[in-house]
Amino acid sequence: MIPNFVIQKQVAEINTNVQISSIFEIDGRTLALLSDIENRKTILSDIPLRLGEESEIFLKDVQPGHQIDLDMGGKVEGYGIFAFPYGPVSSGVPESGGFKLITYGERIVKIIPQINFKKRGIERKVIGMQPNDALLLIERSAGNFSASYSTCFVTAVETILNLEVPSRSKWIRAIAIELERIYNHLHVFGRLSEAATQNVSAAETHVLKERVLRINAKYFGHRYLFGFNRVGGVSHNLLSKEERRSLLNEIKEITNKFSNLVTYFLSSRIFLDRLQNTARLSNQDALKMGAVGPSARASAIEWDDRLTYPIEPYNDVFVDLKTDEEGDTMARTMVRIHEIQSSVFLLEQLLDKMPVDGHAPSKLDVSSERYDEQASFSFCRIESPSGDLIHAVQIDKTGRIKLLHMRPSSLVNWLPLAKSLEGNVFTDFQFAYESYGLSYADSDR
Amino acid sequence: MDYLPVIILFGVFVSFATAVAIGRISKIFCYVLGTIGSALGISLSLWMLLGGANRIDLVLWQVTQNSSFEFLLTPFNSLFLLISCLVWFGTCLYSLRYDDYPNGLSSLLVLTMFSMVIIILAGDAISFLVGWESMTISAFFMILQGRGKPDVIRKAAFLFLGFGEASTVFVMLAFVGMFSSVGSFNFLSTSTIHASEITLSWIFVASLVGFGLKMGIAPFHMSEWLPIAHSNAPSNASAILSATLTLMGVYGYINILSHLGHSELWWGWITLVIGGISALLGALFASVSEHSKGLPAYSTIENNGLIIVAVGVYILASYYNLPLLSGFALIAALYHAFSHSISKASLFLIMGWKSKLKESFDLNNRSSTKAAKDGTYLAGMATILSLAAVPPLAGFVSEWMILESLFQSFRFGDTTSQIVGTIIGAIVALATGVVIIAMTKVYGFGVLLSGMVESNGNNNIKKMPIIRASSYYFLILIIALGVLAPGIFLLASSGANQILREKTFDIFVTGLLGIPAHFVILSGSPFGGFSPTFVAIFMLCLLVIPYAITRWGAKWKIRKTYGWFSGQNQPTSTFELYNSFGYSTPIRIMLSFLFRTKERIIQVGAIRRPVILSPEEYIVELEVLDVFKKLYDLLTKYALSLSYHAARKIMPGKLFVYLIYIMVAFIFVMLYTFFVIM
Amino acid sequence: MVKFWVLHGIKNGILTTKYPKKEPTPEEIPLKSVPPTSVQESNWTVGKELCPTGAIENEANIDLGKCIYCRRCSDASFFFEDGTKSRKTALQAKILQNKDANKDLYAAFKTKAKTFQKSFHILMIDVGSCNACNIEVLNLANPYYDLTRLGIFFTNSPKHADVLVVVGALNKAMTNVLKQTYESMPEPKFVISIGACAISGGVFKDTESFVSPVQDVIPTDVIVPGCPPTPIQILEGLLLCMDRCVKGQETDMIKSKGET
Repeated sequence: MIPNFVIQKQVAEINTNVQISSIFEIDGRTLALLSDIENRKTILSDIPLRLGEESEIFLKDVQPGHQIDLDMGGKVEGYGIFAFPYGPVSSGVPESGGFKLITYGERIVKIIPQINFKKRGIERKVIGMQPNDALLLIERSAGNFSASYSTCFVTAVETILNLEVPSRSKWIRAIAIELERIYNHLHVFGRLSEAATQNVSAAETHVLKERVLRINAKYFGHRYLFGFNRVGGVSHNLLSKEERRSLLNEIKEITNKFSNLVTYFLSSRIFLDRLQNTARLSNQDALKMGAVGPSARASAIEWDDRLTYPIEPYNDVFVDLKTDEEGDTMARTMVRIHEIQSSVFLLEQLLDKMPVDGHAPSKLDVSSERYDEQASFSFCRIESPSGDLIHAVQIDKTGRIKLLHMRPSSLVNWLPLAKSLEGNVFTDFQFAYESYGLSYADSDR
Repeated sequence: MDYLPVIILFGVFVSFATAVAIGRISKIFCYVLGTIGSALGISLSLWMLLGGANRIDLVLWQVTQNSSFEFLLTPFNSLFLLISCLVWFGTCLYSLRYDDYPNGLSSLLVLTMFSMVIIILAGDAISFLVGWESMTISAFFMILQGRGKPDVIRKAAFLFLGFGEASTVFVMLAFVGMFSSVGSFNFLSTSTIHASEITLSWIFVASLVGFGLKMGIAPFHMSEWLPIAHSNAPSNASAILSATLTLMGVYGYINILSHLGHSELWWGWITLVIGGISALLGALFASVSEHSKGLPAYSTIENNGLIIVAVGVYILASYYNLPLLSGFALIAALYHAFSHSISKASLFLIMGWKSKLKESFDLNNRSSTKAAKDGTYLAGMATILSLAAVPPLAGFVSEWMILESLFQSFRFGDTTSQIVGTIIGAIVALATGVVIIAMTKVYGFGVLLSGMVESNGNNNIKKMPIIRASSYYFLILIIALGVLAPGIFLLASSGANQILREKTFDIFVTGLLGIPAHFVILSGSPFGGFSPTFVAIFMLCLLVIPYAITRWGAKWKIRKTYGWFSGQNQPTSTFELYNSFGYSTPIRIMLSFLFRTKERIIQVGAIRRPVILSPEEYIVELEVLDVFKKLYDLLTKYALSLSYHAARKIMPGKLFVYLIYIMVAFIFVMLYTFFVIM
Repeated sequence: MVKFWVLHGIKNGILTTKYPKKEPTPEEIPLKSVPPTSVQESNWTVGKELCPTGAIENEANIDLGKCIYCRRCSDASFFFEDGTKSRKTALQAKILQNKDANKDLYAAFKTKAKTFQKSFHILMIDVGSCNACNIEVLNLANPYYDLTRLGIFFTNSPKHADVLVVVGALNKAMTNVLKQTYESMPEPKFVISIGACAISGGVFKDTESFVSPVQDVIPTDVIVPGCPPTPIQILEGLLLCMDRCVKGQETDMIKSKGET
């Protein structure tokens, strides 16, 4: 059993304000992870649930090797209706994933995301592996969310193994996650500018993003933060005060520049026109379909794992939560811009209040001395740049992974994207797609 | 008097009349006779146009001193005879294999042609009206033979009849005006009539409405009767209707104008405005039409609008006494009538064949996922390019001429006329641009991507040679009309000379900048110049030289790969392919203020997440409404209910019998007045 | 609000890298993401623990195509880290495979590359990557690397593409798509595999969805190792297809094959 969470026997009624976030099977029992949006609580429940075909795709692991159409259901009838294939090889979406646009020309009537073109089956592969070896695969599930992935996994494993991890390492992980959030949000803004052919804006933003990537390389050894996380510690400890100060200064310079420039970028009427009223996602749809992350916050869902499921450093720092009620592309963009600011504020606090002493040497083999059979299972939630990321881990006696279930943020955001695009025209597609910041690698883990 | 042309003319009459009579017995003989009659007509009119004779007058029956039944052959009407006969020749050839309707169709088809010959040759009002009425009624019966839902066909036929009879009424009104000033029914064979301004204006308005109704131009109807009627008829009939029946409208209108001998300023304005609006609306509605024959029918409206615009420039130029411009505008109108008739007949025949193959008139309905190449695609391409005004084909030359004459509207002596001319010029340019959308659509989805020959078994493959022959006949004509433009210009100008009363060919066709004489068409004293022949040679070089270089000068390897569907499999059903509705939906959405587009996406996003929810239906509707259609629908509704109640009281008999009775009674009344008044 | 973007740009100065005229700065090729190249005297034994993908076969043989830059070996101070000497990244797969026919193949490669000396269009195809390589390829368009100054452009359709950039570990679902894309490209064409996943499968080598290295499915001309390779390294691979490498580097490249 997990100490912090008592598995509830009954949830009297699943009202609309409770999202089903994840479902996994442990030792033959089906457990559901629910997010109570109203009370900002995570509930672990073992009530039996009716599972449809779609929920299998969403909440459980599927076999790799064949694509899956995320059809919302419903038949489309009418004169002149046809399907328009988009992807898996296209320039607008740089990854291998497809869309089937159902349309009568110009207007998108319905859109069916096609995923699983590159399902790698990491969850099946890691079974029986050492956590640190599995980490190599897990952080490569989604390259641009690797800090979130590795932190999420590592935290769950450390909880099971009762490892004494110096809090400094945990703070450094939070720093890495915030850096990751900044460059991902900058990337999204840059891609949006590209879609609107705002070339100055795109160039400036991509320059800033490149600088954040170089900061990553400088302080964490890798542009995409691969390999700095280990079970039991981190490899880069930001020991000297100068290092910390220069990191903060560099990142502040970048984000100040961005916040100065973004007012100019968003004063372009053409740009605003493309963002406003595009791909509107209503609060109710977002709740029903289980949208997470900045896209959910843009539809007035107040859920941020840093506040609602705070792991270590987030309890001691102030996290600024920004929501919007509009639910359109503009709202999602504004939430992301605001999150860049709040991340810098967070970085400032993290680097300032960081526990000075104690850094753990990185270890490759994890001893299973403290293994407790009763508590062989744990899960962790991390707010990745595009939303809530859940890892549920079970470890066997020898310290090897027995079960890994990942519920990435992109997977649950496909349907909100599809829903919000209904009734929009073709040219709005790029804006809607980029504003959700989704990644096929993320959902095809 | 030379007897040979009279004999040939007699031959034309005999072969058409025999064909009508024999149609019941044998379709093949009927069409062969029709072909022979058309060939004789072509030779006769060519002989006339190339200066064989100035005027052949055949008085059949001198009824009274100044009234007679009279047939007249001049260069002007022999130009129209030439155009019609060229179309009929190809249509009869095509019908040999296309026609699998009951035998009545062949008779009716040839009867329609015969009536048109009478209209063209008529030297007096009575024969003209007899031809006019028998053309309308035989066309009505042809439309009734169309295939489709019976009520739709009936509605189309009666619409046609209604507008046709309305047209006859206005033509009669015009003739009454002319009769009152001349005092004879033979005014079509006299040169100019002299009458008061009010009478002349009366004649002008009545003839504009009467012939305009036949041509289907703007305010007299818009999206209603012509496209519906033309598209529901059998395809060879639609070709005759769209290419030559509307040509009769052009003929009548110009013919009457030429007899007025005087013009008013507002005539020109009205003609320009009506023509410009018809052209633009025709083009716009063509671009959103999904009917494989309705689209060409809308394009007919556009082209008739262009002809009317050219006539408008002619009227204004003669008002301002600009002989050069008026001559050029008139020749432009005639040239465009020529090129449009040929191209449109070709398009209708090809679309008819394609619709027959796929057994649907829906452009959206693609029977296969592969492109169909059955020998008509080449002719189809030339036709489309000609209608979309691409040099050096027929349509480009004539549309260039029309736009050039509009460019010269600065020569008008009045600011208002200059402004009207300029605005109409802009509208016409827009219309010729918009029609490209319609043409690419009908070629892409109608000709290239639909109708596999193999789909209906061997029966259709057997028919291919004749269909292909007729399509190549039109292909050659369309290319010749563009490439041999000076020659066609010669024919058109010799037709126009009679109206302009001077020889214009040498003024407009010269040599320039090293291009030999008789190869450059000038549009003014010198304003603009263009040599279709040399442009064709230049374009041919552009094609041939790179081909030759790559063929013989470089390594040439052809590797065939699959089509690219962004990495997905080749589409297996037509649902996965782009369709013609999608092609023009952006126009429907952008111009929703004009089309009154209603988009209704009735949907509830069926969300199937772990708990709850069931799928619900999406219903998508997008319809294009037409303001004119609404108006006419309302009118028809009241008229129908009125006539229904009236008819039930007066005449509970059969409608067909009644219609024939009307025709006979009409002829009788005309003859009666003829005798009594004379 | 009005901003004078020209002045702003001048104030910012030139950000674009001097590469390929000059060697890239250490900032552009971060030291720590560069593979180890030479073997230090050490008592460590090479095993799966030290090198999870098996890039280090023994002390003398390092297969760069398999290296995922996990830095376990460097943590164990097994190898040197020397950024400037180890920038030999873009290799020709064919030359690598057939050492005997080296020279003929290289000459053929050179003639093909001469065709694209001025400019070409690239199409990126993702056959199962983690999105990091994708972002690095997209980064080539940003002002720091500015692909277009070298005459290289992105394109949308394989029918317009000269160079196919393959990223990711080849997935079952993408194998036919990759073949189809390659088929659709006009001749002459280049294929560049980018990243350890495309070259050898990387960490995903043993997953059930992995088919084979890309060069086993379609003929590959250039490989760019890295996980992910930095934009400069990708640029180097692209420039190799244009026969526009830094002078003296090609010979160096061939020689390094002989050594490793």
